Amino acid sequence: MLILEFLVKRIAQGLLIVFITSLLIFTLLRVVPGDPVRLIVGGMAPPDVVEKVATKMGLRDPIIVQYGRYMRGLLHGDLGQSYLRPRSGMIATGGQYIDPTKSDMAPVIDQILERLPFTLQLGGMALLFALLISFPIGIAGGLHQHGWQNALAFGVQSLFVSIPNFWLAIVLILFLSVKLKLLPALGYQGFSYVLLPAIVLSVEIAPFIIRTLTTSLGEVMQSTFIDEARVRGLSRRRIVYSHALRNAAVPLVNLLGIQLSTLIGGVLVIEYIFDYPGLGNLTVVSVVGRDFPVIQGIAITTSAVFVFINIIVDLVAYMIDPRVEL
Amino acid sequence: MTATTMIAPEPEQALTRIQSVNRRILLGAWRMPSFRIGFFIFAALLLVSAIYPEVSSISATKMIVKDKFLPPLFLGDKWAWEHPLGTDQLGRDMLMRSLIGLRYSLLVGIVTVVLIFIIGCGLGLFAGFKGKWWDTVIMRITDAQLSIPMIILAITILGVSRPSVESIIVVLALSGWPLYARVARSAAVAERGKEYVRGLRVLGAGDWRILLLFAAPNILPPIAFVAVLDVARMMIFEAILGFLGLGIQPPTPSFGSMIADSRKYLINAWWIATIPGIFLAVALTSINLMGSALEKARNRIYGGL
Amino acid sequence: MDLSLILEVSDLTVGPVTPGSAPILDHISFRLNTSDIFGIYGESGAGKTVLSRALANWLPESLEYRAGQVAFAGHDILKPGIREVRIGRDIAYIGSKPQSSLDPTMPVGSQIAEKLHSVRPEWGQRECRERVMQLLSEVRIPSPKERYWDYPAKFSGGMMQRAMIVDAICAEPAVLIADNVTQPLDVTIAAQIVALLHDLCLRHQMATIYLSSSLPTLGQFGDRTAILHQGRFVEQQAFAELLAAPKTDYTRKVIASVPRMWSTSEGPLARRQARGEVPLMQVQNVHRTYRARKRGTFNSYSNVQAVRGVTLDIMPRENFGIVGESGCGKSTLTRLLAWLEVPDQGSILLNGTSLGSLSGRELIRKRNEFQLLLQDPYNALPPRTTVGRMIEESLLIRGSIPRAELRRRVIAAMAEVGLAAELYDQLPNALSTGERQRISIARALILDPKLLILDETLTALDQREQARLIDLFSKLQEKNDLTYVFISHDLAMVRKVCTRIAVMYLGEMVEIADNRELFFDPQHPYTKALLSAAPTLEDKLFDPGDFLLEGEPPSPIDIPAGCSFASRCPKAFGRCRVETPNLIERSPGRLVACHLLDSSDAKAAA
Repeated sequence: MLILEFLVKRIAQGLLIVFITSLLIFTLLRVVPGDPVRLIVGGMAPPDVVEKVATKMGLRDPIIVQYGRYMRGLLHGDLGQSYLRPRSGMIATGGQYIDPTKSDMAPVIDQILERLPFTLQLGGMALLFALLISFPIGIAGGLHQHGWQNALAFGVQSLFVSIPNFWLAIVLILFLSVKLKLLPALGYQGFSYVLLPAIVLSVEIAPFIIRTLTTSLGEVMQSTFIDEARVRGLSRRRIVYSHALRNAAVPLVNLLGIQLSTLIGGVLVIEYIFDYPGLGNLTVVSVVGRDFPVIQGIAITTSAVFVFINIIVDLVAYMIDPRVEL
Repeated sequence: MTATTMIAPEPEQALTRIQSVNRRILLGAWRMPSFRIGFFIFAALLLVSAIYPEVSSISATKMIVKDKFLPPLFLGDKWAWEHPLGTDQLGRDMLMRSLIGLRYSLLVGIVTVVLIFIIGCGLGLFAGFKGKWWDTVIMRITDAQLSIPMIILAITILGVSRPSVESIIVVLALSGWPLYARVARSAAVAERGKEYVRGLRVLGAGDWRILLLFAAPNILPPIAFVAVLDVARMMIFEAILGFLGLGIQPPTPSFGSMIADSRKYLINAWWIATIPGIFLAVALTSINLMGSALEKARNRIYGGL
Repeated sequence: MDLSLILEVSDLTVGPVTPGSAPILDHISFRLNTSDIFGIYGESGAGKTVLSRALANWLPESLEYRAGQVAFAGHDILKPGIREVRIGRDIAYIGSKPQSSLDPTMPVGSQIAEKLHSVRPEWGQRECRERVMQLLSEVRIPSPKERYWDYPAKFSGGMMQRAMIVDAICAEPAVLIADNVTQPLDVTIAAQIVALLHDLCLRHQMATIYLSSSLPTLGQFGDRTAILHQGRFVEQQAFAELLAAPKTDYTRKVIASVPRMWSTSEGPLARRQARGEVPLMQVQNVHRTYRARKRGTFNSYSNVQAVRGVTLDIMPRENFGIVGESGCGKSTLTRLLAWLEVPDQGSILLNGTSLGSLSGRELIRKRNEFQLLLQDPYNALPPRTTVGRMIEESLLIRGSIPRAELRRRVIAAMAEVGLAAELYDQLPNALSTGERQRISIARALILDPKLLILDETLTALDQREQARLIDLFSKLQEKNDLTYVFISHDLAMVRKVCTRIAVMYLGEMVEIADNRELFFDPQHPYTKALLSAAPTLEDKLFDPGDFLLEGEPPSPIDIPAGCSFASRCPKAFGRCRVETPNLIERSPGRLVACHLLDSSDAKAAA
């Protein structure tokens, strides 16, 4: 069965990609200058203390050995423990020395699983908003290639793509949250806290959907079979929605997979600005603190999500248009 | 064939009015008002950011604490002529800082895109034309590179060592080349199947000769036109990196770091955040107008061909 | 009002929307009764498609109705908001591009059922589906129940056209407009479609308007025919009378321009074969198979056997023709002859040297001796290159030459093919199709070849340009001692030009004979079918009814044992399905691959 074989092949490839990504990040972290141990023990600690702690943590072993140890743990579902965050949840800031060799540090996998749903919720809402804005504008622009609708689509799309997301976030926080008090901004204390970040993220996603829709819908409407559908007796509504849109959706779906990368970047920045408790926020904090295990864990999770979504995207493309090569 | 080509006879152009496709695309874009607006704004910004900091004596980095929080012209009650766009929390002139920031932004944006274009298209053309083993290897590498989102790569490399203009460009180029490689590769594969390639092979031409002399000049220009849009994309990335603290380090001004710092002063001195944002947005809009117009013209000309 | 009058067109005038432009259709009038078949002849560009669309109220945005009306059963369909007549239900249209007529992302059957349900909402979904399946089998599509769910890409041209016929007639229209429906199809398939359409029109009692750019095809219907010229009907009468007594000069010209294959004794005489002459090119048992990944699986591949054991000799100074329909392997064979691809088995010798044994550099040198001219003059030339540069390329590949010498040689080559020297620095954008082909010829000739392979090179040209190029070819042949190989599906052209002809079917040669012998005394059943299906105004040598083929050639992936033609051959018998016939020389210079000619078996079958 084609779909089954496709899934098997893609999942195998996906595992390979996740594996390579994790190896890359793993190596990069240890190769680039900046010693995490220093951050943990504090800048004042004498070199021999640093070395002792580092050796105990296994950071002086060859990279391959470290990686092997890590992979073994991974197979057991153990992504290691954070260097910074103890189980109780409070981060150690400079001065207070918490010994990371003691096993009282927060497990990485717990941290990730705790925050993943928030990020997914943000992504989902943002996608929803983006689709709600883009589809009407994009379809109208596509159907009236030389009318005001097309100019509007072009204008909206150019505008949205030129606004830096972090700047928009700041401006909206200032106006909608502080001055007008319409929506809450920072942190998360209920569903309404996801709305403002989702709006900003959707402004980032929308332009490319509008652009692809107007172009590909415009192209499809020129094809012979759409023209001929008229003389065959199909109603305009049916032609546009059952046939034209369907054909135009395929390039859209394909590009969505590629755009995912950029999206992840956007999520990161937005979570940081809004202090939203998702994976992006965790990433920024962990990088600044050189919290290797957490960074690795997030990289693996991100790759895996990425691979998974790409598989779904390809499958959906095939369901719409069976000429797509699986 | 579209419905309209039914009645139009094959166009007979006069021998004298021969225009290459690229010139037609440029002219087609130029005819669109959106392109012209974008072009003039961009040119103006380019000139101002190049010239003004050279001729003015105001420093972008020296802190003059007594002059802090001056509002822009005509607003509030403490504005001054020598700081037309106000000053920031340390008394530094906003206009100068924005222009310097714009310089770096443009520098990073343009250099990165040029790099991405050369590396990406080079590898892509090669993979597409030679095919088989080379193709598979290069495409797998692009897959692997694409699965690492730019921000993660940036955080990993720039977050653990002091970022410089060069390292920022390297990070952005690394995350950007795979897309160009893919596009160039599929264009090369399409080109490889064209009749004229077969015609040249029959005459005895080898793959390399055909690729370099005939295929590349056919494939690259349309990609180059669309690359203009990517300058804007890279500028946004540079600003995001700056915002996260991974960009050009202070005291050298960069849009991202300026806006990041300004968050504390939003309510009282909103211009510190807004002015750099406006500069960036205007620059980006002008580039996007040009790029989109070029893309539209390209689609129109290639669609009609 | 005459009850059987179904369509009345009066003074129909159509033109572009730009004011003041000349009309494309000028006062067209005619009447159509139920069960009439009305043929309309028009050259390409004369306005046939515009007329067919105008009759269906389906003009593109760039055209408008300027005058006249189209009355279906008394109602003018051009009046806006008309409800009694519905396009798709009462008037149906079949076009000339079946492959692009349906949505490629949905199954063919579902789309036809969707259309049926749209125009006849009173019929339920299931009823529509059953009707469509039944009609699919009526148009002789094999396994209709399975093919209902197939996507358009899986249908061949002929099959797709049958599906479009189903799409048109499923709603039981009273009027059917068929616009150039057989133009893209192979000759034998086209013949089937024409016969099918005729049969259906009579059986379902549809008034049919059949437009074509091929006069002989219209003759197959035989009824009232109109000639469309410059937007007007210059003549309208029954077909037989039209031929016998044309009323206008234009009609006479049209009749005269239909190529004649049998009623003329023109045509190149067979080459006089000198004793012991060595063949210029020897093709020895050449095979070429492609491995394609089977769609729907991962690791299984299917073998497409494009060329299966072709052997032939091409003698110096002859015009050798290879004919066949799509899928027979001509294109692959062409690529092998031009050594663009290497045969999996067998060898090709040029002047005694096996091409497979040459090194890279030797091969480039050897290529001087044989060159290939491509079909599509627009795509065969590198874009954005000047005429001179294109021709120079042939020499530049082989090493650098001083500028002056290079220019001299290129201009000499241009002069030989009749291109003005001023064109040297021009881009070919403004040149006609014929002139572009001359550029291709020049860049081949400059290498001083002995053999020229022409891959459908004359197909894209109109009659006049074709004649001019054929003239050029004979001149060049005299002067440069050239040998030609013509690969084509155009029997009329081959009849005019080639001295010896080979007929190809499913990767093999089934018959090779001299020009006159092939056309007047064909031996292989496929050759007979091919010749009888070729559209011509003359009396056929044998009754086409005997040789109307059924169905389509088997897929080159799944070639049945025995004679590959057995599945469609009207004269196949037991041995045919078991043993593959060899290409045997039955009389000097004549090779046929058919069991029927083995006298004992033929007697047994008779």
